[in-house]
Amino acid sequence: MDKLIIEATRSSPAIAFDAETSWLQIRGESYPENAAAFYAPVFAWLKEFLAEHDPAATVQVDLEILYLNSSSTKVMLNLFDLLDQVAQDGAPVVVNWRYDPDNETILECGQDLSEELEALTFNLVERPQELS
Amino acid sequence: MKDFDLVRLKDELGERGILISFSGPFSHSIIEELGKVVRNHLENTRLSRTAMMDVFAVYVEQAQNVGNYLRHWEQEPSGERIASSGIVVIARDGERYVVSSGNLMVQIDVAPLVVYLEQLRALDKAGLKALHKQKLRQPLSEAGGGGLGLIEMARKATMPLQYALTTVDAGVFFTLRVVI
Repeated sequence: MDKLIIEATRSSPAIAFDAETSWLQIRGESYPENAAAFYAPVFAWLKEFLAEHDPAATVQVDLEILYLNSSSTKVMLNLFDLLDQVAQDGAPVVVNWRYDPDNETILECGQDLSEELEALTFNLVERPQELS
Repeated sequence: MKDFDLVRLKDELGERGILISFSGPFSHSIIEELGKVVRNHLENTRLSRTAMMDVFAVYVEQAQNVGNYLRHWEQEPSGERIASSGIVVIARDGERYVVSSGNLMVQIDVAPLVVYLEQLRALDKAGLKALHKQKLRQPLSEAGGGGLGLIEMARKATMPLQYALTTVDAGVFFTLRVVI
């Protein structure tokens, strides 16, 4: 299965999903004009990946989100729901939600999302402070 | 030139603490560009990163709400005045930032919006979080709106959302004011 690589823009994140290593990364800001349309190819890839995925292999999801608008938050929850479903079926899924300690809004957003999920492991990971 | 007094306009913007104001076609690229201006401005202040991102977030939600409503009217033969009625303003008021936006609406859309705003105004932070949780599970509308934007604004605001309705020839002008 091909990797899914989407370059970042000012209002949409960089996406790098690798089926071979089961490593999914999303980095950047998300307030696209139409969140459902932007994430449609991401959903398509993820559904295909999860259908073919070896349930013994750990899926690792790393997120470094600086800003999520409200519609992207909804879409992100739908994305996590797919992962939570395979986790409920026994596949190990680890989500690392990385946040800047001085950006409480993103921490809160991660907490809101993690409360909605049952089976996957959702880690809130504080990123080291940048040296200034 | 009498009716085109930019000095007076600029003075008035200054007196009202207005840092950034935009009125015109709300394309996505304009929303992005203005967002960059907002962020650049706030990065040069002593505002904490959380507060800065809250001002930015409220700006994005307002601008996208206005943009979505206006876009819906672009295709309508009678919708031209609504489609060009949007405005977003970011102002400083002492230690607070105030993000406001406005646009014309048709009467039929006003009542449900007012009911929703009054519902939000009556909720405390815990109530807003509970409603957010409930709305998070509702599907996105075709226009891309999720009905979450106003709740997110209310959660970031330091006082209840404020709004005003002004009757004008072409309909009702809706103004939303969020203090952060």
